[in-house]
Amino acid sequence: MSQEPMSDVMLDCYQVSKNFGGLQALDNVSFRVKEGTIHSLIGPNGAGKTTLLNVITGMITPTKGSVSFNGKPLGNISPHEINQLGMAKVFQTPAIFPEMTLLQNVCIPALAARDGAFKLNMFQLLSKGGQIESFAEETLVEVGLQGVMHKEARFLSRGDKRRLELAICLAHRPKILLLDEPTAGMARHETEQTIELLREISKRGMTKVIVEHDMNVVFALSDTITVLAQGAVIAEGTPDEVKGNPKVIEAYLGEEQE
Amino acid sequence: MISLVSILKRFPLTIFALVVLSLPFWFPYIGGYVGLATKMTIWALFALGFDLLLGFTGYLSFGHAIFFGMSAYTTGLMFKHFSAEIIPAMIIAVIVGTLASVAVGYLTMKRSGIYFSILTLAFGEMLHSSALSTFGWFTGGENGLTLPDLRPVLFGIRMDGLTMYFVTAFFLIVGYYIAMRISKSPFGLILRAIKSNSQRLEYTGIDVQKYKLGAFVLSAVYASVAGSLMVVYEPYVGTEYLHWSTSGELVIMSVMGGLGTLIGPIIGAWFMLYFENVLSVPLGEEWLLVLGLIFMAVVIFLPGGFVDGVKKLYNKLTKNSADVEGK
Amino acid sequence: MNNFFLQTLTGLQISALYMLIALGLTLVFGTLGVVNFAHGALFMLGAYFAVEIASQFGFEVAIVAVPILLFIVGVALERGLIRHFYERSHTDQILVTFGLAIVIGEVLKTIYGANNIPFAKPTWGTGILRLDEYLPFLDGAVYYPKWRLILVVVSFSTVAALFILLQFTKFGLIVRAGMRDSQMIAFLGVNITRRFTIVFGIGSIIAAIAGIFGGPITQVEPELGMKLLIPSFLVVVVGGMGSLPGAVLASLIFGMAISFTAEYAPIQQIIIYLIAVVILLVRPRGLMGKKGLME
Repeated sequence: MSQEPMSDVMLDCYQVSKNFGGLQALDNVSFRVKEGTIHSLIGPNGAGKTTLLNVITGMITPTKGSVSFNGKPLGNISPHEINQLGMAKVFQTPAIFPEMTLLQNVCIPALAARDGAFKLNMFQLLSKGGQIESFAEETLVEVGLQGVMHKEARFLSRGDKRRLELAICLAHRPKILLLDEPTAGMARHETEQTIELLREISKRGMTKVIVEHDMNVVFALSDTITVLAQGAVIAEGTPDEVKGNPKVIEAYLGEEQE
Repeated sequence: MISLVSILKRFPLTIFALVVLSLPFWFPYIGGYVGLATKMTIWALFALGFDLLLGFTGYLSFGHAIFFGMSAYTTGLMFKHFSAEIIPAMIIAVIVGTLASVAVGYLTMKRSGIYFSILTLAFGEMLHSSALSTFGWFTGGENGLTLPDLRPVLFGIRMDGLTMYFVTAFFLIVGYYIAMRISKSPFGLILRAIKSNSQRLEYTGIDVQKYKLGAFVLSAVYASVAGSLMVVYEPYVGTEYLHWSTSGELVIMSVMGGLGTLIGPIIGAWFMLYFENVLSVPLGEEWLLVLGLIFMAVVIFLPGGFVDGVKKLYNKLTKNSADVEGK
Repeated sequence: MNNFFLQTLTGLQISALYMLIALGLTLVFGTLGVVNFAHGALFMLGAYFAVEIASQFGFEVAIVAVPILLFIVGVALERGLIRHFYERSHTDQILVTFGLAIVIGEVLKTIYGANNIPFAKPTWGTGILRLDEYLPFLDGAVYYPKWRLILVVVSFSTVAALFILLQFTKFGLIVRAGMRDSQMIAFLGVNITRRFTIVFGIGSIIAAIAGIFGGPITQVEPELGMKLLIPSFLVVVVGGMGSLPGAVLASLIFGMAISFTAEYAPIQQIIIYLIAVVILLVRPRGLMGKKGLME
């Protein structure tokens, strides 16, 4: 916490390093995400993007350095606590509850938002008052999944599973949304739909961190881009600044030559 | 046919209560007797609670005999050293079983998959062995805890025959009502989500560990009540109550009936005990072999158990009749 | 000195049987990813076959014939049943093999009855050996049953043979690669399914060896499979699922623990469970377990 506090910084990674048995996955990575912006993390394969995201969400603990969220350090707290602070994550492969209906899928984060991480509410009916369910329905409509609320999630197409996962994340009303390659493995039209969807959500002014391969997605959405290569930050700036940066070009060309 | 199903759907608890309460009166016509009905009801309660763990969260415990057995021993010891009145004995027994489940659950629920199954099995075997040897001086060791001439009473009323049955039935009906409420509650929804995708759940702001422990303890409360009732019904504590085979039978009946459906494990328990005590007569020594084969067939061809089988059959029948009507 | 030596020897002998059963379990798990609750039943089947064949044609014939028979049984089981459970959950695998174990046990009970049947050792394996004649550091006369020493030798030879097979043959190379990443191996165009069948067969052969040489010590009865399966499973889990060295190490720990607590019966009864619980709580994946398996 040696940096001076900045009021509009929401997520602050400070000199984060991660060693996997000798392999330096992250090397002194520092970057800040400002509130209300869309911040992308890009870089060639093996640059450490996913590792960094996993450090932020508490899935892995860094060897060195710290991450703080709204001024609160995130060391040694579990993923659900981080989530309860207002951070939601979209996984690379859509993480949903496949055997449950869409409505049930979204009721869960709605409950987490209302009741916290644990509540022994065994005798209350889920449908009581109807607030949880109607809130879940609204969220599903928001991501464009109306009309299939009582379908089991496993029968959805990949693109719709991604929508559902977004709904799960949004239902918690997070302050920041982390997306790990949200368009990975998607067909072109699905990618475009996803970009559109993310734009829609952006209107709410929610902060986002996106890890992405697809440059179209990155340049279409981002306010700020941080470029990682071999575990270190090599460039940062607006899309235009990053586009012209020779270091970035080298990092990507280097990969292609291999 | 259709109207029967709609009645079942609308008044599941009433129908269930009617079936349970009338059981001893029609059971003799299919070869049963009141004592067997009591035992079936006790096991049904055991399996019902187990469903909240295995059926909802997907955690396969091979150690639920721990809670059944510990509660049974506690009940027996209370009868022996305190009084034959069942209320204090049952209360203490359920407390002991529940506390044990908090300890065992805390240690084992951090692990998942096969590690959880083996750990619970190890705890169970450890306890079984120590009941036979280390604690033999008060558990009766290899002979089990014998309670000669003991007649358990409820406010002075002898617990036998139909009285015993209706007390047991009361617990099962209340247990079923509670389980149904849990199933429809936010708590129940989150338990099912653990089986579906526990990582997503953790990243959705849910303290998965606590919910898992909750399910484990809950199932152990049912197991404790069942274990205690067993000794009330038959004032003797067999060492097999703590043995892994008790846990194994519980798993078999739950799976056969249909996991996650609440009614499935109850039906599974009834089926298994009926099979063991009535159908085994014509089958002779080979009844367990036949049961094993049925169990395997269910796992292979009907992973949803009997309940799922009936559902599929019903859907097929109604679909066919709808086709006929359409023409 | 003598006492310590004898206790170590007894520990080795107890380990030997656990090791043999655990080896098959962990091999099948590590390669096929299947939790085989019926492995104890296969071992028991080996023992019954051995009793039958040894009494008809002699023990030597049994040593050759029983592994072949069990190999056939194993292959049939893999083709007919286990194969269809590769894609199902571990819970389903446990359940179906648990069912299989019950069925095998009950079939044996139907044929041979619930009591144990006599299993005569061959003449060359009976009697006791004077160890101090071979080991100068022992003082005075030290005796040990010959058969138990044979079991130890057979067990460690089997471990060595399996190790050589996996480490120095092309088959072993593929199997080991399959243990790490079976999808990759299938992707490379290697016919992994046939090798899976063979691996299950090898697992059954090891169970047969355990049955032939362990049977005379354990008594042959229909509960035997489950009786030995539980500690063997603990061996596998404590060693780390799918790790062969782990299984060897864990069985040695268990064997020694049982042997050295012999004077304190209450502790001996529960020692392996205690060790298992402590190790698994401290090292969740067992002594040599790999991350991600079975969780």
